[in-house]
Amino acid sequence: MTTYTATAPARSAAKATPRRRPPRLRTVVLAGGSYLIALFFLLPYLEMVITALRPQNELKDRNYLPHHFAFSNFTNIWSTGLGTNLSVSLEIAVGSTALVLLVAIPAAYYTARRDFRGKKLFLLLVLITQMFQPTAMIVGIYREFLTFNMIDSVWALILVNAGFNMAFAVWILNAYFGAIPKEIEEAAVVDGCSRVGAMFRVIIPLAMPGIVTALIFTFIAAWNEFIVALTLISSTDKQPLTVKTSDYIGQYTTDWQHLFAGSVIATIPVIILFALIEGKVVSGLTSGSVK
Amino acid sequence: MTQTTHADVLGPASDPGGDRRPPRRAGRLARALAPLPWIGPATGLILFVVIWPVIAMFQTSREHYSSLGVLMGSAGWNNFTRLFDEADLGGVVMRTVIWVVAVVALTMLISLGVAQMFNKEFPGRRFARWALIAPWAASVVMTSIVFRWMLDPNNGVVYVLLKQLGLVKNFNTTDTGWLGNPTDAFWCAVFVAVFVSIPFTTYALLAGLQAVPADVYEAAKLDGASPLRTYWAVTLPLLRPALLVAALINVMNVFNSFPIIWELSGGGPGSQSATTTIFMYQLKQSSIGEAAAMSVVNFGFIIVIVLLFLRASKWNSAED
Amino acid sequence: MALTACSSSGSKSGSSASGNTTLKLLAPDYGTAGGPDSSQKYWQGIADDFHKANPTITVQVQTIAWTNWDQVATQLQNKQYPDILLGDAPQELAASGLLYPLTDVMSASTISNLIPVFAKQEESNGVAYGAPFTTSSRALFYNKKLFAAAKITDAPKTWTDIQNDAAKIKALGNGTIGYGLPLGPEEAQGESYLWMLGNGGGYVDSSGKYAINSAANIETFNFLTSMVKAGDTEPSPATVDRKDMWSAFGNGTVGMVGGSGALIPIIKTAGKLQTSDWAVTTMPGKSGPLTQALAVHDDITAFKSGGHAAQIKQFLDFAYADKYQIQFDNEYSLLPATTSASKSLSASDPVAAGFLATVPNAVVYPTNSNWNTVKTKIQQSIGTAAQGTDPSKVLGTLQTFASSN
Repeated sequence: MTTYTATAPARSAAKATPRRRPPRLRTVVLAGGSYLIALFFLLPYLEMVITALRPQNELKDRNYLPHHFAFSNFTNIWSTGLGTNLSVSLEIAVGSTALVLLVAIPAAYYTARRDFRGKKLFLLLVLITQMFQPTAMIVGIYREFLTFNMIDSVWALILVNAGFNMAFAVWILNAYFGAIPKEIEEAAVVDGCSRVGAMFRVIIPLAMPGIVTALIFTFIAAWNEFIVALTLISSTDKQPLTVKTSDYIGQYTTDWQHLFAGSVIATIPVIILFALIEGKVVSGLTSGSVK
Repeated sequence: MTQTTHADVLGPASDPGGDRRPPRRAGRLARALAPLPWIGPATGLILFVVIWPVIAMFQTSREHYSSLGVLMGSAGWNNFTRLFDEADLGGVVMRTVIWVVAVVALTMLISLGVAQMFNKEFPGRRFARWALIAPWAASVVMTSIVFRWMLDPNNGVVYVLLKQLGLVKNFNTTDTGWLGNPTDAFWCAVFVAVFVSIPFTTYALLAGLQAVPADVYEAAKLDGASPLRTYWAVTLPLLRPALLVAALINVMNVFNSFPIIWELSGGGPGSQSATTTIFMYQLKQSSIGEAAAMSVVNFGFIIVIVLLFLRASKWNSAED
Repeated sequence: MALTACSSSGSKSGSSASGNTTLKLLAPDYGTAGGPDSSQKYWQGIADDFHKANPTITVQVQTIAWTNWDQVATQLQNKQYPDILLGDAPQELAASGLLYPLTDVMSASTISNLIPVFAKQEESNGVAYGAPFTTSSRALFYNKKLFAAAKITDAPKTWTDIQNDAAKIKALGNGTIGYGLPLGPEEAQGESYLWMLGNGGGYVDSSGKYAINSAANIETFNFLTSMVKAGDTEPSPATVDRKDMWSAFGNGTVGMVGGSGALIPIIKTAGKLQTSDWAVTTMPGKSGPLTQALAVHDDITAFKSGGHAAQIKQFLDFAYADKYQIQFDNEYSLLPATTSASKSLSASDPVAAGFLATVPNAVVYPTNSNWNTVKTKIQQSIGTAAQGTDPSKVLGTLQTFASSN
């Protein structure tokens, strides 16, 4: 991992430089191909929406579209109290994201700026954490939170999601902070800011795309987490959407239409969030990925 | 991890922890403790949430549990000997290697192409990029379940299409039994894994591409290099750090991936389409101790991958 | 620190100073959690009625979807024991010394009302450690519409009948499945047992020792393999779960399938078959219908850890009333576990009566103390014996596992 400093000016230069005029045909082929790729990636989700709208008696029909659309599938599952689960999911995702940013920003900033004993050890720890997923450790996680009497607690899920996703945030932010020229910071200190003040007033705004990237990663991971929530949460009103939706896979039947209706509801907020900040993610990864 | 460059450049004056008191009076202890406020919370969270369960996992691998989870006493190394005696283990490990290599290689290759396309200006580019995030935003569990539904032997929409094209003769026959046949099910899982890995990888590479200064291309063009040659000699080397990071994240995600194979085939028939992560889960249902032993072995694999990665990144920085 | 501030409200059962007792009841959800048919509602109803009659005892109900039943093992592993658990047979837990003997937690009159064939199943070394709560028995469901279309007049009685009928039904085309053979991990032990019984085999021999790789069982799986190869069943049965096959039957695309009463509401919900379009018959064996049906049961067990034997006894005696037994059976189309509830259900429900008639003489699963572990292994791997792997190898591995664990 070398330090390739992708400065903002270089990027804007890339955009500003006039390209040679591409032949018309090439643009058409390029756009057409890209639309096809985009469509391809949407198809499974289109099928998800269509199935969510199938009436029970057309569920297993061999056709692309049902003859009737059953919008009642959505109202049915909403009336089982899905709103509560939606807000639990939000609590978990927002809480984990906030906690990750709170602990990852100082750690990433310090390791990017300073050399100290144990830095390599810390970064190695972060790297190894990145490699673990809770699936493999579910029994240990249960045992641990039992010790702290935190079974059936939303806080436990916030901690677990934050813990397992913090590594990525430290990593990408470390890269981002490292790419900010230290002269900017020193200028701020000369202007009378304290170190901490400089971090808040100068560095964090400059690192915003990186922070947004870390934010979206943690949010999505926490939003979609399933196994830990399934194991730790027993009360129906504390289950996040992922666990609640899985109940439609029952002992004797799978309620495909309701399962997918729940999934559509669970996916929409993330897609909206993502669409809002799509541009930031690309630029956020720019610095991070070239580290 | 070779970030000493910053520290070398930064003089003692820019010590962010020590600015409030005169540097001279800071003793050894203060110096050693200075990083704590900054990295302490992060370290604490890692130790609490990740390392603690890892230790519990090691303990469990030496204990004997009944299938309902009742502790029956110490097992010594029995869980490990029984694990290594499993007739399926060899195949499972082989399949895991193929799984990781195939998924990551295909993901990287395809993402390079897609990133290249999406980096060019064309009308509607924003929409196309936006569509690509769907598999990233949706949970992998749900995406896997949708694919399983689309490959339902009785009414899967994929087979509906293939039947119209004349490639499938009839439903509920071996023609539509991809997920029931271990080889086909495995490759379907590879497809889904590539499908869900492409968005992140493409975005990471897209970011890498946008960071390549335009004057580099101008220079290559002035030298009369062909587009293919430019890509090979200019773009790819500049993308190498991005490629390395994307590859590492993919390797870890794919190695640890549980929902895809689990939802598509449950690792079956038997364990004939299972990877080590799936096999661990299958074992968990009859023997928690043996499953923990499998987790410990997986842990070993992860350490090996980390070491390989560290070596690769050193090689990378040495060349620069 | 926040950690202690956010701990969950007491999930532990216990007695407070005022003499009030909380019992923790853990049960699987036979319906859809959160839906109108959730078992949470059923149990909460009983718990509320019980609390009215016994204000000092509160029963805290938790239900877990069957698909997520693994969670129970995680809880037990961490010594989080409920007071009352509805689930698998008691032998394994009894062997760990965790359970009350049934006589400590149920009065003699309630025990004597349990259907004898199931009550017998609860014993380890002659002592019962649990009580059957809900039961079901298996039979062959067939689609009369498909039978008529394939010009089959009689219900199958032998394996050869099944084979011939399945071939004819498959020949109807349009993706029709002759015989639905769900040997996927969900319920493979049940489907396999139905077939083993038809050849005089089973999981244990007459002395109660495992005999999974007996010659009769190997022959059975060779026969199943030949049916699968000929396409008389769905392709790759080793990955097909029972619920998928039942749903396919309800959808009218399967000729024959092994089922229990629980299949009936699925057929009704699917809305493709009328009541006159399907029928039930005794499961065929190699040379004639099974003389004994396969019956299964889910059991109530009571844990010693909380020390609430007296309160558990009060609650169980209350909950085993006919009213609640029949309410459960109507909700999920299962069968009661008590003689009195069986009588009154037989009088009111002719379909249930047909199933109930087979119960007194039914065959049940083994009661070896490691059966739960062995069952899990069977569920995961026995299907491969009908899908290309040599049955003697698959069954041999299972036999070794069963006798060494």
